[in-house]
Amino acid sequence: MPVPILKQGGVLIVSVQAALTDNDLVALRDDLAEKVGRFRSHGVVIDVSALDVMDSFATRTLRGIAETTALRGAKTVVVGIQPDVAFSMTLLGLTLDGVATALDLDEGMDLLAAPIRRRGDDGA
Amino acid sequence: MAAKALPTSESLLLAGMDLTEEDIERRKAFLEFREDDVERLRGLNDVAEKYADSVIEDLYEHFLSYEETRAFFKDSATLSRVKKMQKEYFLQLTQGSYGLSYIANRIKVGLVHQRIALDVKWYLGAYNFYLRAVMDRLFEGHTKKPNGAIAVLRSLMKLVFLDISLAIQTYVRTIQQQQAAIRELSTPVLLVRPRLLMVPIIGVIDSQRAQQLTESLLGAIRINRAKVVVMDITGVAAVDSKVANHVIQTVAAARLMGADVIVTGLSADVAQSLVALGVDLSRIKSVGDLQGGLEEAERMLGYQVVPLAERPTAAQRP
Amino acid sequence: MEHEEVRIRIDRDSDIVTARVAGRELASRIGFAGSDLTIIATAISEIARNIVLYAKHGEMALAPSRQSGRRGILVIGRDCGPGIPDIEQAMRDGFSTGKSLGLGLPGAKRLMDEFEIASEVGRGTTITMRKWLR
Repeated sequence: MPVPILKQGGVLIVSVQAALTDNDLVALRDDLAEKVGRFRSHGVVIDVSALDVMDSFATRTLRGIAETTALRGAKTVVVGIQPDVAFSMTLLGLTLDGVATALDLDEGMDLLAAPIRRRGDDGA
Repeated sequence: MAAKALPTSESLLLAGMDLTEEDIERRKAFLEFREDDVERLRGLNDVAEKYADSVIEDLYEHFLSYEETRAFFKDSATLSRVKKMQKEYFLQLTQGSYGLSYIANRIKVGLVHQRIALDVKWYLGAYNFYLRAVMDRLFEGHTKKPNGAIAVLRSLMKLVFLDISLAIQTYVRTIQQQQAAIRELSTPVLLVRPRLLMVPIIGVIDSQRAQQLTESLLGAIRINRAKVVVMDITGVAAVDSKVANHVIQTVAAARLMGADVIVTGLSADVAQSLVALGVDLSRIKSVGDLQGGLEEAERMLGYQVVPLAERPTAAQRP
Repeated sequence: MEHEEVRIRIDRDSDIVTARVAGRELASRIGFAGSDLTIIATAISEIARNIVLYAKHGEMALAPSRQSGRRGILVIGRDCGPGIPDIEQAMRDGFSTGKSLGLGLPGAKRLMDEFEIASEVGRGTTITMRKWLR
């Protein structure tokens, strides 16, 4: 089942639902890459608030998506990581380094709108 | 498959003490408390009934001659009531039945002692007095076969130590509950400005406290929509590499929720030792003191703090 | 509740979600709460994912666990896959960098209280984990 991608101005918004298969995620990555190119989007917001678990696979995939869209000139922000999911991720040692994160959709959009003033998302 | 038995009040009492029947069996096994011990103790019952009253008299004379224990028996009504209960308690040691209801009984007694705030040392001292009193009377009755007396005494000691371990369980459990409460209270997360949280950490950080702290902080980040957190570790007892890694983990988790963390109170010396130990402090944004950290946090949020006296007046403004 | 064991066949990636949902439910019934539920579900996800990626088929077994008065959850991941040639190496793989094909085993070990791994090349792998209520 393809994941819906919404366009809001120069930003593409994706809401990841809980039960995505590996194939869905790969299809999402390709779909995003295509749309970023087509619409010349400057940003992508991936909302993972519906995910009850972020394991190493999900994290690798998100990082992969961020890298792919970056190659097309768009910045990715992952939003909505829940408190206990964030905690589990750090226990697992997953860091999403190199990918910007924000609390929710609003914060994510803010971050994309004012990239200069924002603190570095390169882990510094 | 047999139907599950409803929990009895005894098994509930045990569960309330974090004890299971298996646990009790393990304690008995470790004490090597077996059928022959049960037999010996049952065999002692007649003698025990005979000397029960005099042992109790001696015991209470002992309590009343010490200020700390005298305090528990303010009036004669209390004294006689307690003596009666004490006699029943000691006679149960030789009844020959040491199953679930015996255990539940011991726990209840432990709870009573704990509720009246009888310090463990007096409780243990009293039990010791009792053992000595019994030992004397036991050898009186076994002058011809002292080995028999020794065997009975050994069995009695095993049971008494089982009793003590149960009574102390109530104290231990209370301490654990209090520790949990202290942990809860001692990790406050404060909202000092919109979007700015401060966490002053004081005391010892073990992995349990670190997890609790991180959970509180992450929850607070979500509720307050915090963008910056100032975590002050000035009051942390010993900052070793384990503690440093807990801090690094907490910082990483906050970052996943879009919040930046500034750590304050990490002295240069400690930082140096941590780096020497191989801790990667590059993941932590550290500012020397709390005030500096708060100022930096405010700057990051776009605040600019200017003392009233220094504000340019209308005439001075360009 | 003592004899409640849940077994989930792991054949495709949707089974990973089934396993972790079942894990979360069982953990909740055992008495786990808050982030421990997510931690357990994440550990299950990691191990089940390994089965799908490397063994193609296997199973997860979840059950309540009891030991010296403590209560907790037992999680076992079994497969008849290729096995792990160098377990030490697999356990040494620091943090998951995303670029390596790390098995996520050190991570799962950090999530749980007890972690054991038995593996034989050509025969399969069994991972046994436990987490206790505090």
